[in-house]
Amino acid sequence: MKRFALGAVAAAIALSATGAFAEYPEKEIQGIIQWGAGGSTDTVMRSVTPHAEEALGGTVVMQNMTGGVGAIALNSVADGEADGYTLLMGAENPLLYKVMGLGDKDYSDFTAISILARGTPVLVARPDAPFDDYAGMMDYIRANPGEVRFGATGPGGLPSVITAMISTVEGGLDVIAVPYDGDGPALTALQGGAIDVMPAVLGASIEGIRAGNMKPLAIFDVEKNAKLPDAPIVTEFNEAYDTYLPWGPFFGVFVKNGTPEDVVAKLQAAYAEGAKNPDFVQLMDDRGFTMLGLTGAEAEEFLSTWQQGTTWLLQDAGLTQTSPEEFGIARPGE
Amino acid sequence: METLMAFLTVFLDPELLILVAVGTFAGVYVGAIPGLSVTMAVSILISFTFSWEVYPAIALMIGIYMGGVYGGSRTAILLNIPGAPSAIATAMDGYPMAQRGEAGTAIGVTTVMSFIGGFIGIAVLALAAPLVSDFALRFQPRDYMLLAVLGILLVGSLSQGSLVKGIFAGAFGIAIGAVGRDPLTFAERFTFDLRIMESGISFIAVMIGMFGVSEALLQLHHVDRDAVRQKITRIVPSLATVRKHLPLSLQTSTIGVVIGALPGTGGDIAALMAYDHAKRVTKNPEVPFGKGAMEGLVAPETANNAAVGGAFIPMITLGIPGDAVTAIMIGALFIHGLNPGPMLMIDQPDMFWFIVGSLVAANVFMLIFGLTGIRLFTKIVEMPRSVLIPLIMLLSIVGAYAVNNSITDVYWMLGFGIFGYFMRHYGYPLGPVILGVILSRLLDDNWRRAIISEREDLGRFFYGVVTSPLSLVLFVSVILIFLSQTPLWARGKTRIFGHREGSTPQ
Repeated sequence: MKRFALGAVAAAIALSATGAFAEYPEKEIQGIIQWGAGGSTDTVMRSVTPHAEEALGGTVVMQNMTGGVGAIALNSVADGEADGYTLLMGAENPLLYKVMGLGDKDYSDFTAISILARGTPVLVARPDAPFDDYAGMMDYIRANPGEVRFGATGPGGLPSVITAMISTVEGGLDVIAVPYDGDGPALTALQGGAIDVMPAVLGASIEGIRAGNMKPLAIFDVEKNAKLPDAPIVTEFNEAYDTYLPWGPFFGVFVKNGTPEDVVAKLQAAYAEGAKNPDFVQLMDDRGFTMLGLTGAEAEEFLSTWQQGTTWLLQDAGLTQTSPEEFGIARPGE
Repeated sequence: METLMAFLTVFLDPELLILVAVGTFAGVYVGAIPGLSVTMAVSILISFTFSWEVYPAIALMIGIYMGGVYGGSRTAILLNIPGAPSAIATAMDGYPMAQRGEAGTAIGVTTVMSFIGGFIGIAVLALAAPLVSDFALRFQPRDYMLLAVLGILLVGSLSQGSLVKGIFAGAFGIAIGAVGRDPLTFAERFTFDLRIMESGISFIAVMIGMFGVSEALLQLHHVDRDAVRQKITRIVPSLATVRKHLPLSLQTSTIGVVIGALPGTGGDIAALMAYDHAKRVTKNPEVPFGKGAMEGLVAPETANNAAVGGAFIPMITLGIPGDAVTAIMIGALFIHGLNPGPMLMIDQPDMFWFIVGSLVAANVFMLIFGLTGIRLFTKIVEMPRSVLIPLIMLLSIVGAYAVNNSITDVYWMLGFGIFGYFMRHYGYPLGPVILGVILSRLLDDNWRRAIISEREDLGRFFYGVVTSPLSLVLFVSVILIFLSQTPLWARGKTRIFGHREGSTPQ
């Protein structure tokens, strides 16, 4: 009996010893999604991860952890082990936490597994609005200051960045900003006539535009969009937008800094493979997202450029709590 | 013909039919456990059904949804712990019935009424979806705000005994709902600079604590007393009972469909409003409300199941979610390569009729599963308290943790449990607290939206209210319902109508 017990212990030790040298992943990986179920971050992550799982040969259990504009999820992953068993699946917001006073961490504390894709902003109006394109809207706003209702989603959200951009380029924008919980509820309100104009991501508004429930005033990009070839781009109306565009929200998968390099490499390879899956590419294309698939130095470059441009735009519009300078974020072009 | 085929798809394919049945069965139990919500179940299913075809995936989700909305009533009736927020009103008359040994009857009525409500919701979805979604879209922020005020006035009917204590409880609930970072400006409110407060207080944790833990603590007072023997003679309600409550159930189902179809309001508010409506229109209930009135079960249960059909209306016609569950289903449709939006009904009418068919199937399964196994279920209340109380505590802790996988929520839950115990002890009603938490955001966000839209000008705001027929109707209802709860109303009524009606029962 005793010998048997000893044998069992020995076997257990042997097993755990081999475990230490076993290939990653040797257990379930947790994926923390920053936003709620059914949102665009959620949809993208749940669509790409099963394909990445196949390439990885492991299981990723995804869970939504909402709250604090995504900061709860970010802090939770940052507080965990840097062993590659907890992934942060997030959007662009963390890059604004510092200047918005929402937290003291951002993606500089993380290593990018993949910056998957970028969205394109579009300015849409309710179908019976008294203007049909960007130029008409600007004329109407100048003629009726403080009357046009813009949808907003709180400081740091896409609408706040786009309105800051318009305000900077046009030298002022006198409108009412009505706050909503997200672009979904705001676009609903737009169709009900509670707001007149909404800066939204193309994917969220494309079906409404197709059905004629909202009209596109301008796409905020430097080239025409294949999904809406008839919609004008904003640089056609004002070339000054060239400085700020292309700009858009993005989705990415991250791990905490300090994660072993071979684990990072494996995850990067898996997500790169997963993002190539035709079903996923089709889904992203349908929703008007531009595939990026950035990793390593390219991802870092992308993140820092994005952060510089956006934080300074918000700073100049007076929307930040603390200047980007305080955190060593240089003004673009300096 | 093609429409009919699309509708019948689910009935002709045994695999789909089994999936709906499995979903409904699972839903009843998921719904019955406080904290395990339909929303959570459906979002887990998205990953689970990723590689499936779209029809089986949707069939399973619809089953869970329908079953889950109904399932919340089980624990509400048997243990006084609503399994889901939409079953809060059900507990108020369901539990007193169980205490009298009529749990079987209560569950029977609930099941049949949920079936009727569910069916009405589906019928409206099938026949008048575009009409209802047009109407729902017309709600402006000020209308949502007025709706929330209307909801707040329910405090009167949710508090038995002292109205003052009820108002206190309601205000407390509204304050709880405001804790955390304000979702519109991200400013911190009532957080006292504590990180734990930043993300707000989970509404489900408050509900589980207030109802679950405080109930367990209260039961500790009489651990030794024998459990109530349940008499299970007649489970299926007689045709006469159903017919008697049919007019009420039609009215409350309408409330359910409309509230369900409004984006931003769901079955929980619908059920509470229906309960209040029942209390208003039922002149002479056989048993007073709050003591086990049948009407108190009929109203919320028809309304919350009718809200299911209602929630699908904006989802299918416009791609706008009617509630949290349909929001996740929209995500699921995207993942399966469909593009939910206004064009879905035109591009893929089959999908619409398939959803309607699956809902019908799920509703029928709900009736079947609801009426079977009641005997086993009622055994729960007959368990000795020394077993039951730890079981309730365990369920409460698991449930609170499961909502966000956060231990903080468990602490909140326990804290509110103890607080709820003392509230009950001193005669403060708990219903209004939950009502306050549910309505807090609806009221706060929409008031701010409404007034910001009018350039913060009260004059323009009221001009908007009186010039919009919808707002005007809501505004007048608010005033009338408010007045009807003051002594002024009773006095005025006597003066106008004389003493014929006698004293109006409160």
